[in-house]
Amino acid sequence: MTDFCERLNEWKGNRLMPMIISKSGWLGLAFFSSFLLMAALSPVLAPYDPWYRFEPYLPPDELHLLGTNDLGQDILSELIFGSRASVIVGFGAALMSTAIGTAAGLVSGYFRGMADEIIMGITDIFLMIPQIPLIIVLAAFLRPSLWLVALLMGCLWWTSTARVVRSKALQIRETGYVQANRSLGFSSLHIMLSDVLPNITHVVMPKFLLSIASAMIAEASISFLGLGDPTMKSWGMMINFAFSRGGFLNGLWWWYMAPGLCITLFVLSVVLLGSMLEERESVSLRLQ
Amino acid sequence: MRAEGIDKTYVSGLVFRKRHQVLRNVSLKIEEGRTLGLMGPSGCGKTTLGMILAGLLNPSAGRILYHEKDIRNLKGEELRAYRRGVQMVFQDPEGSLNPRKSIERSIHEVLRLLKTPEKEWRSRTLEALEGVGLSEELLCRYPSQISGGQGQRVALSRVLLLNPRVLILDEPTSALDISVQAQILGLLKDLQRERGLSYLLISHQPEVVRFMSHETAIL
Amino acid sequence: MTDLQDFMQGCSRAASESMANNQAILSIEDLSVSFETAMGRVMAADGVCLKLHERETVALVGETGCGKSVVVSSIVQLLPGNASVRGRAIYEGRDLLSLGEKEMAGIRGSEIAMIFQNPSLALNPIIKAAEQIAEPVIIHWRLPKSQALDKAGEMLRRLGLGNRAIPGMFPFQLSGGMNQRVMIAAAMILSPKIIIADEPSKGLDANSADEVMGEIARLRDSAGASLLLITHDLGLARKISDRMAVMYCGQIIETGRCEDIFNQPLHPYTKALLNCLPQRGFQPIPGSSPSMIEPPEGCRFYPRCPERQDECCMKAGLQMVRILGPEGEVLREVRCRLY
Repeated sequence: MTDFCERLNEWKGNRLMPMIISKSGWLGLAFFSSFLLMAALSPVLAPYDPWYRFEPYLPPDELHLLGTNDLGQDILSELIFGSRASVIVGFGAALMSTAIGTAAGLVSGYFRGMADEIIMGITDIFLMIPQIPLIIVLAAFLRPSLWLVALLMGCLWWTSTARVVRSKALQIRETGYVQANRSLGFSSLHIMLSDVLPNITHVVMPKFLLSIASAMIAEASISFLGLGDPTMKSWGMMINFAFSRGGFLNGLWWWYMAPGLCITLFVLSVVLLGSMLEERESVSLRLQ
Repeated sequence: MRAEGIDKTYVSGLVFRKRHQVLRNVSLKIEEGRTLGLMGPSGCGKTTLGMILAGLLNPSAGRILYHEKDIRNLKGEELRAYRRGVQMVFQDPEGSLNPRKSIERSIHEVLRLLKTPEKEWRSRTLEALEGVGLSEELLCRYPSQISGGQGQRVALSRVLLLNPRVLILDEPTSALDISVQAQILGLLKDLQRERGLSYLLISHQPEVVRFMSHETAIL
Repeated sequence: MTDLQDFMQGCSRAASESMANNQAILSIEDLSVSFETAMGRVMAADGVCLKLHERETVALVGETGCGKSVVVSSIVQLLPGNASVRGRAIYEGRDLLSLGEKEMAGIRGSEIAMIFQNPSLALNPIIKAAEQIAEPVIIHWRLPKSQALDKAGEMLRRLGLGNRAIPGMFPFQLSGGMNQRVMIAAAMILSPKIIIADEPSKGLDANSADEVMGEIARLRDSAGASLLLITHDLGLARKISDRMAVMYCGQIIETGRCEDIFNQPLHPYTKALLNCLPQRGFQPIPGSSPSMIEPPEGCRFYPRCPERQDECCMKAGLQMVRILGPEGEVLREVRCRLY
């Protein structure tokens, strides 16, 4: 506990990392947080219940800012609720894959030997599996909920994080301070968490953010193919219905443009954040 | 402390194994309160031998005796006494401190390892720093903000907190300039006198070995 | 070793001749360098004055962090952006500090060459050794690549790396000593007039260090160049240089001929530094170097000086005291109130 407090105090008075955020970083942060808010506060922000049916195929007007879909559901409300699907799958998958990948990479890189061989062997097996097709096939057969989709993606995508973390861990393992702590008698777990892990966060964070982006796109693709969760609104499904239920042919561009734009902007914001973090890290390394 | 017939061979490759023998039948003895200097050209295995003695590497053959007991047979309390009693100080002073931890945290984590009660941490930290001739203004700094000589002293103070009996010093001053070198060597000599420590001094500089050691071995 | 001594004697004669003519090939006048950092303004160099004559070797000695590397980096304008430089560095009638980047680029490498510390880091790891040596030739003399590579190979042979495989190797395949020689070859291939060597023997063991310094001395003589050597190793400085300048906390506190300084050090810091040598018993200097952000007022060595007096800490700037010889040439300079 005191360790945590010490770290917090250090972080406040830490003059090693100046808080520079570039303009693109601000943009990314702005979009990202607004989408997060959208997802969290959907019931509050949406003007109507997205499942409630009004008159179908209405163009945008004051009552329905983005019109209604083929079932008469308000598109703006659908849009706002749809952010939840992206956030859940995006964050869920990214968190899982990063957690598994980091743990595997750490153990593999720090202990080397048999553990390394085994874990890298497993990684190779997972890499052989074609990921998106597998998700599509499983989704087609099982029709799982969004949470399961997130879980599935997490279980398949940890491998690249594991590789990167492993190579960094191998490097850090040979540094003087890890050797010194080993000599002083710290347990391996303590060294991994306290010495190695903080020095690899700058590698893990960008990968985490980029996995969010990939997961969101994958979810949108699955929903677009009609294999998504029917009980939840999703941007991909909106585009799917827009195309299959006559939105495209009738020129109802607001129906498919809005979710498409949202997906693009959300992914863009995540990527901007990731690159800003990478830049900050390289700047702070140079200052040191 | 004694080493008898130490061999160390590095094997690389899975199928076509390449053997690289670093040490061959090495034996030496470190007496209590005295310094044994270890010299030899670079790359001949001095650091490897030091790490084997400290228990950080396993020899391919031979045995290490601590207080006349083979370290592989030590268990429990005796094993812990050996692990704490023999400590190694590494060559690169900047490398032996985690660059993301302040000096204070680096020292506190050793105190936590020793299960010292938290209220004693401040006094023990200041005591440790004083023992190596540093002032408390260094505590809030990071390793990148202190000089090589100061870094080497902080590393020493962390090691000394464990109350070791034997220190294996791997080229302790080769990365430092002459005035700092003189200070560190003087400090090491004082500590040996005050605490009755034994040193294994690994160095490629003959003058340093001559100044510090009572006996010398050449690899 | 006798080679070195011969060279040294040869140089001393040439050096004293040129000193008598007062032909300073490089004259650093009142150079001050400061850096703006997150922790305040660091005065890395303060009023440094140094003269380097033709065919002379001057050693700039001092502890780590006293500002030696900063001084030479500023001469060739290789400092980071947050540095502010004042003063002049006169080379062949021009002030190097006022030249633009293009002119400096023309001088660096061909007329003033630098040999850096830590060769394994200073060399580009993905370019072969011979190509790196040939690069200055291609750029400055505009020779075609094959001729430049031949010259590079010849240079390596002169430095004792005659093995045919070496020019085609990458820096990570070569040892520290070999990499240092590659860097020396790259620095000296254009026969520059001034060589600046920044801690060339750091990180090398005693044998390699001796060999490397011997190479530098040999090449210096065959090219008739002047050498500005930066080191904290007094023994090395003594072996190879004619004159020595001692720096402490950003200021030069003593200059003079090497033998004179070793036999009769004037400044208390120099005396204490000589006592740190192994031959004199590794006697440390008490205390630690002062901070460069808030250096002590008056004499910067005052807090640690065994011969200090009350007036030493007064703010009035200490001037360098010049001790002149019979013909009016400057024999020694000391910055101390005792003289």
